Amino acid sequence: MFTSIKQKMGILLLVALTCSSAFSALWQNARSYGEAPETDPVTVHESRILTLKELLPASGSVGYITSVENDRIFAAEKTFANVEFLGQYVLTQYTLAPLVVRNSPAYPIVVGNFIAGGPDQEFLDKNHLLLVRDLGDGLIIYRKGGKP
Amino acid sequence: MTILLFFASLLLSVTTGFFLVRILLPEPDGKNACVPLQLFLGTGIGIGISSCVYFLCMITGIIGLAPLLDILLCLLSGVAYFGTDKPSEGERLEKVLIHTKLKTISLCLRKLTTPRIAGESKNSRGGSSAASGKATKLEQLLIAVFSVELAASGGAFFFAFLKEPHGRWDAWLIWNMHARFLARSGDAWREVFSLPMDWSHWDYPLLLPLSLVRSWRYTGLESIYVPAAFAFIFFLLTAGLLLSAVSFLKNLSGGLLAGMILIATPFFILMGISQFADVPFSFFVLATIVLLFFQERFAKKGFGPLLLTGLAAGLSAWTKNEGLLFLLIVAFVLLTATTFKRGWKGATTRCGWFLAGALPVLLFVIYFKMQLAPANDLTAGLAAGETVWSKLTDMSRYGAIARDFFITGLNFTKGPVDLRVGMKLAPGAVSILLPAAWLWFAGINHDPKNRNGVICTAAILILMLSGYFAVYLLTPLPLEYHIATSLNRLYLQLWPSIIFLFFMIANPPDANWEGLIKKTAAAVSPARKSLSSQRKQGHIKG
Repeated sequence: MFTSIKQKMGILLLVALTCSSAFSALWQNARSYGEAPETDPVTVHESRILTLKELLPASGSVGYITSVENDRIFAAEKTFANVEFLGQYVLTQYTLAPLVVRNSPAYPIVVGNFIAGGPDQEFLDKNHLLLVRDLGDGLIIYRKGGKP
Repeated sequence: MTILLFFASLLLSVTTGFFLVRILLPEPDGKNACVPLQLFLGTGIGIGISSCVYFLCMITGIIGLAPLLDILLCLLSGVAYFGTDKPSEGERLEKVLIHTKLKTISLCLRKLTTPRIAGESKNSRGGSSAASGKATKLEQLLIAVFSVELAASGGAFFFAFLKEPHGRWDAWLIWNMHARFLARSGDAWREVFSLPMDWSHWDYPLLLPLSLVRSWRYTGLESIYVPAAFAFIFFLLTAGLLLSAVSFLKNLSGGLLAGMILIATPFFILMGISQFADVPFSFFVLATIVLLFFQERFAKKGFGPLLLTGLAAGLSAWTKNEGLLFLLIVAFVLLTATTFKRGWKGATTRCGWFLAGALPVLLFVIYFKMQLAPANDLTAGLAAGETVWSKLTDMSRYGAIARDFFITGLNFTKGPVDLRVGMKLAPGAVSILLPAAWLWFAGINHDPKNRNGVICTAAILILMLSGYFAVYLLTPLPLEYHIATSLNRLYLQLWPSIIFLFFMIANPPDANWEGLIKKTAAAVSPARKSLSSQRKQGHIKG
């Protein structure tokens, strides 16, 4: 039905809208690439976490603590309050696989990943966590000590 | 060297899939008209088969032999293809006769319609490439626009990869994470499924992760380019399949317009870039629906298309859990539609062939679900009957879900929900309104050849959405959270098929030329008679 004006208009509309949409996607991605940091956050985090890898066992499980209590990591994401803590936890697991990073301080070796402020001494004492090595940049390895 | 090895692994998958599709999906007119369709279908199906073969090697403990099995399968499919592609002397003669007939009719048509075509060309009205053998002005224009849009989308992909080479959230939380665990765990790979990591959804099927693991094994390097390459491949395959399917079943202009809508959909580009499994899943959904059309249109071509339909649906279940629902719905729709059309006997036979196609992959899915995968968070989270009943009888839940379905249905092409703004009705330039507008501009095509396919596709899509509605109704997750994080992706999974459906219902851009050709073809029936008499006299030889 291309012979009709109606169909011509339809094709013009479709071409115009799809072109604008495709170029808009190109423009947005090009612009956000220009504005983005030189290295993406996942790569930055991965290279940061990789420094832990040689100090941790190749397999098995280690614990994990961060600036907030463990049960708040997932709860904050569920309410969309904060996805950063979950993101950091998942990326730690993503980097250290196949070593399992458990979202709990109750393990003989515990990885501390403090992206928003340092560790809470009260929390460390409560969970009997003793410093093994501070790698800087918010990364600390703890071991589980005996009861004080 | 790494790139070469990656392409070698891909080539084995593509070749295996292509040969298989060529065997099961014969050319309706014997003129290689659906080679592009077979190539896009074959590539996707080949990748799916390769992941199944790799899984077989993993569970049987012969992972080192995986490349050998790939080569063997590729050779076998090649031998089977070349073995079955040789037509008998009678078939060959028939093909030559048909080809000669078409050629003569085409010549007659050209003579009869030359002045008219010239006149139409002057008015930029375009025409049918089938008549002239060359692309019309309209087709040339649309090819140019499509190419430019594809380049723009490819550019968007490239910049996004540079910005986020690991993909987005679900890529490193689920798909690439699973691939890493499976690749790095060595012989202890089974143990990863019993890890206490329910947040990573270890019950999700393995087509995508195993495709990555397989490529990493071939290249000997855990490259971040591989997941991105697969994301781009499935983006291209889905667009290519849509384009080639509409081109084959309607015409090239229609195919290009349909493809343009898909590759210009911001959320489709975003999901491709993000390295999620939704785009591969949408490919297998579209493949199943295209093949359903194919088997309806060319039912006399045997049960090959039905076997392939089953295989594509099976691979959808090997890609995402939603595929299991899809497989059940397709089987149900096929059974119902063929019962009405051919009766019980015909329906059970056809469904049998469909299930036979799905069975090999389904066996892997069943093994995975029964032996390895942990319980799904949604099914495991379904609380006691009382809670289910209270959810089922809570009318406010129906209202909230229906409202979100409606708003997301119009908005999803734009991208994820902005949680600061919430769900508000604001469709973008490319939304479901665009193919709907095209339907209005082009008009409805009442071709009886497509009627069953259109009804089946519409039924499948509606039932899929109904299934998703039911899942939200019973979800153990907070409703708002669950809808906000998944509904737009569920729509996107069906989006290529929705576009396909609209274009199968609408008149093709130059449909009047088809009518003209039909009228003219009827006028040249004496030419056919002449050919027939020549055939009887044995003047045309193979």
